[in-house]
Amino acid sequence: MNLIELIRLAFNRLRTSRLRSALTMLGVIIGVASVVALVSVGQGATSGITSQIEALGTNLLTVNPGSSTTGLTNNGFGTAETLTLDDSNALASLPGIAAVAPEITTSELVLNGTKNTTTSIIGTTTDYAAVRNETIYQGSFLNDASQENSLRIAVIGATTADNLGLTAADVGSEITIRGIPFEIVGLLQPKGGIGNQDDAIYVPLSVVQRELVGTSDSVRAIFVSASDTVSVDQAKAEITALLEQRHGTNGTNDDFSIADQSQLLSTFASISGVLSLLLAGIASISLVVGGIGIMNIMLVSVRERTREIGIRKAIGARGRDILAQFLIEALTLSVLGGVFGIVLGILVSALIGAIAGWGLQISPLTLVAAVGFSLLVGIVFGVWPARQAARLDPIAALRYE
Amino acid sequence: MNTVVDMRGISRVYETGRLQVAALRGVDLAVGEGEFVAIVGPSGSGKSTLMHIIGCLDRATAGEYRLDGSAVEELTDDELARLRNRTIGFIFQSFNLLPRTSALDNVATPLLYQGVGGRERHKRARRALERLGLGERLDHEPTELSGGEQQRVAVARALVTEPALILADEPTGNLDSRSGADVMNVFRDLHEAGRTIVLITHDLDVANQAQRQVHVRDGLIDQ
Repeated sequence: MNLIELIRLAFNRLRTSRLRSALTMLGVIIGVASVVALVSVGQGATSGITSQIEALGTNLLTVNPGSSTTGLTNNGFGTAETLTLDDSNALASLPGIAAVAPEITTSELVLNGTKNTTTSIIGTTTDYAAVRNETIYQGSFLNDASQENSLRIAVIGATTADNLGLTAADVGSEITIRGIPFEIVGLLQPKGGIGNQDDAIYVPLSVVQRELVGTSDSVRAIFVSASDTVSVDQAKAEITALLEQRHGTNGTNDDFSIADQSQLLSTFASISGVLSLLLAGIASISLVVGGIGIMNIMLVSVRERTREIGIRKAIGARGRDILAQFLIEALTLSVLGGVFGIVLGILVSALIGAIAGWGLQISPLTLVAAVGFSLLVGIVFGVWPARQAARLDPIAALRYE
Repeated sequence: MNTVVDMRGISRVYETGRLQVAALRGVDLAVGEGEFVAIVGPSGSGKSTLMHIIGCLDRATAGEYRLDGSAVEELTDDELARLRNRTIGFIFQSFNLLPRTSALDNVATPLLYQGVGGRERHKRARRALERLGLGERLDHEPTELSGGEQQRVAVARALVTEPALILADEPTGNLDSRSGADVMNVFRDLHEAGRTIVLITHDLDVANQAQRQVHVRDGLIDQ
């Protein structure tokens, strides 16, 4: 008997007991659908959070000054005033570096008419937008001319704009920072991500130095974007070498540190991997339960059809013909259930994706694995009943009422 | 004349716990090609056991049995299934048609196990059913057929493989007298067409229509 005949026989059988077949399949349908849906939710959540981390800039390196000491007290990481604008300019000439943006920060009271907020004032340069993945919502970012001419202009973060009641129409109007008027030249898109990066106002570095913090040459941090042609580690090495040369240090007494995002990304990737596996594991329990349902119904079916098995054996079916018939029947149930389960799983994933806002995330691998797994369930839980059927003694089977 | 069934010293002992029950105790039986033999005996005589062994559904405990030239005791289970499929056409008292399966597919099933392709299978099954006057009933399932019709479908299924031996176990037992007579007419026609038939029955009226009678009593043939 060839496979097509067996599948035809199985479908005929399923047609004659539709309700039972549907209910049996339901177990597998739910199992496969939940595997597909949960894996998709896992992937959706992962890509959502990964893209937030990437919004920080994956090739972003942050150079911070080391710690300062006052007397015997260590004032902690980032308090030294060892990084300067000259360092920043020197870094820009390194081959592995795409862009450099130093920043000076201060916190000031900002007024817009009657509304006010206290927020970070970040003094920086033109490249900051590129290095930190900032996108303009309205107007423009700081440019080189405003830097050179120390123009009193400001670019407003999305949260700060909300706090001050600023809209797109307010580009060109003025706000007051510590009593000094600044012209608003741009509003930023909300960036989300970790920490509130949207609550800040960006002004030219020279203006912050001159008007707000005094004329010290030191910067709080230098953001460096590694060029695409080199690895982040290589860029890090170049920066370290240059700064050690400029500062006269040698690795044991460096007065700066360099941080990157790769560790955060890899930590998150391993957490989400474990989480996805956990979800899939829970879902596959229901698939196993579905498989037991198939085994149960196949055992009942073998019992009910004992006489049919006897007849088939009497007219020439070998044990393996009967085995194949019942195994294919179980497989038809499980694979059909698997296919319906995938459809249901995709629908559920699409629904969840639409609600959570990460869209539909289905990898073909998941679908192949789901079909493969339901096939496996069919074989594992179909073999035993099929063997029971194949081993029946034809005489006893023919006498069975 | 070829011998289709050739049994020598066949015995069959059932072991139930410590008890041994001998259903057959050394049976010699020969059925030649074209013969119509009735095996007659009361219930408990061992005739059912004999039928199972002739039909290769069961194996003898001792003795030699050649069916259409094959030494049955040397065959594996798969080879026995093949022998049943090609050499024997079974007809049972309770018809034993496959449920929820059309008459045509029922008759075609033995050919399915021979690996005959779908179209050829149905062509031969249709021809066998038409020969038995069931050309109008091809798509009917067993529950839609009368007892007599069901048994004629069973006869068609037994004939479709052109077997060397037709083995019928109380074929009229579940039929009213008219349908029973119909079926016996079919057997007589088959006999006249040169078929080898072994018919097991306890009904002497049925047995009298055979060419030769073999009486079984207490596990032995009573000549």
